[in-house]
Amino acid sequence: MRCFTDEFKTDIMIVIGMADYAVTRSPEKLTTLGLGSCVGIALYDPVTKIGGLIHIMLPTIENARYTDNRAKFADSGISILIEEMIKTGAVRRRMVAKIAGGAKMFSFNNDANMNIGERNVLATKAVLEELKVPIIAEDVGKNYGRTVVLDTNTGDYYIKSAIKGEIII
Amino acid sequence: MVYDISQLTDFHYSALKEISNIGIGNAVTSLATMLQSEVKIMTPDLNVSRIEKVADFSGGADKIVSGVLMKLFGSVRGYMVMLLPPESAQLICNTIIQEENSDITNPMNESLISEVGHILGSTYMTAFSDFLGVDVFASTPFHTYDMIGAIMDNILIQMSQEVEYAIILDTLFTLKGNDMHGKLLTLFDPVSLELILQKVDAMFH
Repeated sequence: MRCFTDEFKTDIMIVIGMADYAVTRSPEKLTTLGLGSCVGIALYDPVTKIGGLIHIMLPTIENARYTDNRAKFADSGISILIEEMIKTGAVRRRMVAKIAGGAKMFSFNNDANMNIGERNVLATKAVLEELKVPIIAEDVGKNYGRTVVLDTNTGDYYIKSAIKGEIII
Repeated sequence: MVYDISQLTDFHYSALKEISNIGIGNAVTSLATMLQSEVKIMTPDLNVSRIEKVADFSGGADKIVSGVLMKLFGSVRGYMVMLLPPESAQLICNTIIQEENSDITNPMNESLISEVGHILGSTYMTAFSDFLGVDVFASTPFHTYDMIGAIMDNILIQMSQEVEYAIILDTLFTLKGNDMHGKLLTLFDPVSLELILQKVDAMFH
């Protein structure tokens, strides 16, 4: 739950942990490591060059037992990320989203609960649609992990995987 | 009695460590027999961590490893995860199939690594269940070669729905001198942990 970019100003690359988020502006970069079923949602305002990145674990805060960390959930997390970006100076109607993650790492198929990756992706898309932030690129699903970097200078979203190499969306 | 995971007593800490030590001792002995080489184990470490931090302290979320995951069934539920750096996974493959530079992403070797994980996991759990008198079985192993964060997040997501903190028993083992390092992580669900601690209390008081 880190939203005050000042303490990270010394570093050009801000690392976001699981169930965590951060907002910053060009030329800094935001990264989150080893997304499996989790989803990394990058929001970007191309005019002010303000970017935000959040690493969510679960689809919704509704019915959750522990709700103290709102960044854990797609619905509550994306809302606070947008609020924080607006506070930093971004304009909501210019924001665009890129998403990555939501893999199905293991094939214990019988367990409906286990396909949490897909549920995270569906929830993310629904929340962004409701909040009218268009998804302009995505790299989701499949069966491998991803490390992502948002370059706030260009809005490029770098996605690196263990075996599939690196792509930019 | 209801136990608060984030506030375990020193006694529970040591007891869990000791039980884990028995488990890992048995597990690594079986691996040593299979590989016919000397094994060293470090005293298990017991950590209580917020779920969100587990991947970081398991070795770094983006570190690429060969991971084998097993679900634990029976009266104790949870997960076991074996994490091997690529070089160590390769060394195990080389030793077993007697080849140089085996490719750890080839399906044959992947299943070999799974089996090694399975042997470690089930021997560990057998010793554990014998000692405490609880039934627990390890599922068939699932293997993947990927980032630690990605391997673990599925489990952590499952657990985060019920608990905020996870107890992780973490053991480092080395084989063939210091050439091979592995990690064996055990995570129990909250109800199971309570059962284990009750058994521990009954045994020592």
